[in-house]
Parts: sequence; C-alpha cells; structure tokens
Amino acid sequence: MYGWIWRHLPGNAWVRAFISLVLVLAVVYVLFQYVFPWAEPLLPFNDVTVDGQ
Amino acid sequence: MARARSRIAGVISVFGELLITAGLVLALFVVYSLWWTNVLADRESAKQGERVRDRWAGGPGALDTKDGIGFLHVPAMGNGEVLVKQGTDPKTLNNGVAGYYIDPIKSALPSDKQGNFTLAAHRDGHGAKFHNIHKLKTGDSIVFETVDTWYVYKVFKDLKETSKYNVDVLQPVPKESGRTKPGRYITLTTCTPVYTSDYRYIVWGELERTEKVDRDRTPPAELRQS
Repeated sequence: MYGWIWRHLPGNAWVRAFISLVLVLAVVYVLFQYVFPWAEPLLPFNDVTVDGQ
Repeated sequence: MARARSRIAGVISVFGELLITAGLVLALFVVYSLWWTNVLADRESAKQGERVRDRWAGGPGALDTKDGIGFLHVPAMGNGEVLVKQGTDPKTLNNGVAGYYIDPIKSALPSDKQGNFTLAAHRDGHGAKFHNIHKLKTGDSIVFETVDTWYVYKVFKDLKETSKYNVDVLQPVPKESGRTKPGRYITLTTCTPVYTSDYRYIVWGELERTEKVDRDRTPPAELRQS
C-alpha cells in the first residue's frame, strides 16, 4: 500500500519524501480537526457528570 | 505458482500495513485526548475567564450566567483558577471550565441561603480541571470567587467511587455525605479512575465563611499560603 503510493509519487527520492511528509501532516490534521472530535463523544472515556441515563 | 505466491504476499503485506496504520491512529488519538484537547481548552477557558474579569473590572454588574459566574480555587489541586459556567453538557465542559448542574438536579448558587452548589469538570483532557481531585483531603479549602464575594468551603467528605447513576449526591442535603440538615454545601464531581469514566468521584464541602471582595481583590488567607 505505502509502496504503491511511493511508486506513484512524482520526482526523485527527495521530492517524494517531501510530498510524503506533506501527506502525513495532512492526514494528522484531518484526524485532529475532524475525525477525533467526532469520535470522542462516542467513546466512554470522558463522561464526568452523574445523571440518570 | 510463483505468481499466486506473490499475490498472497501482496495481500498479507497490505493487511500488515493497515494494522500498523490502525496502531498509529490509535496512538495519535491518545495524544489528541490527553494533550491537544488540553491545549485547546486551556486557551479557550483563559479567553473566557479574561472576559469575565474584564466585565468585573467595570464594576459589579448583574449576574450573567452566560459568561460564567465566578472562579473556583482549590489549592490542593494546584491548578490555579477554574472558570465556572452554567450547565454540564459536554460542549460547555470541553472548553476547560467547570459547570454547575442544571440537570438532573438543579444546583444552588453559593449566594443562596441554603442548598448544594454542584459542579462537574473533566478529569483528563479538555483542560482536566479536576485531574487532581484525589489530592483533596478532609479539611482542605475550596474557595469560590464571585464578583463581590469569596466563599470559603472546607472539605468534609469524599466518595472515591460511585455509580454514574447516583444522582442523589447532588441533593440539597447530599445523600451519603453524612449530613442530614440543610446547609450551604459544595459538591465536586468528576470521573474515576483516571483516563476512564467507569465511575464518579465525589467531594463534598461545607461553607465555612464568606469574605467581601476588597478593592485589590486580596485573596482570603487560604489562597495566600499556597
């Protein structure tokens, strides 16, 4: 999978490494900004109140 | 034959890479919950707290429950001041503030002649304002600062583990606290054990005295020694 991505990136090894880094950062950004905030309330780690439900 | 084998190897290698990816995503989620949400929440609560102080500086105004009603100081927790706002829904608490209950049992306000001032805040992540709740011992002070008054409470009891359905801890005369007469109580609730929320941790205090806020906002003795 990662090998396939690497082979399909343009440029020499340095350019590919740079693009890979950008891709990784983009994925981390999407996770922190959208995916994790969405997933967190669905997981039972952070309920602090007492309630009847 | 060799072709089929390389095909199987390919499938296995993709599967392996997916597993590694899943592991990394989970690790990132831990980083997110225990660090990044604190960064965001501390930034947001500092901003909101500043806004409250700004309004206070303009002289005593009407009690505005939207922007927060005051600051909680708990020397034993060692985390400075915590802004207190109305409500305990996740959206409020995720901003790194403590919220006073409106549901299932409505909290009293410290200024009320009688009742239970009931608060909730996060143990981990989102500011983790009650992270050190287990450091509170009987006799420790909990100070609540409003625009014109310091309310000094003393801890008299805690409940280290209780069910999340145990709403009676929020009663005006809290059940299991050992008190039977109406008084001016404070209740802190958060989740326990740390990093999970299987149970709830409760700390009760009782109002010892109040002090008028002076012009320099001199904190009461309890806050000066720490």
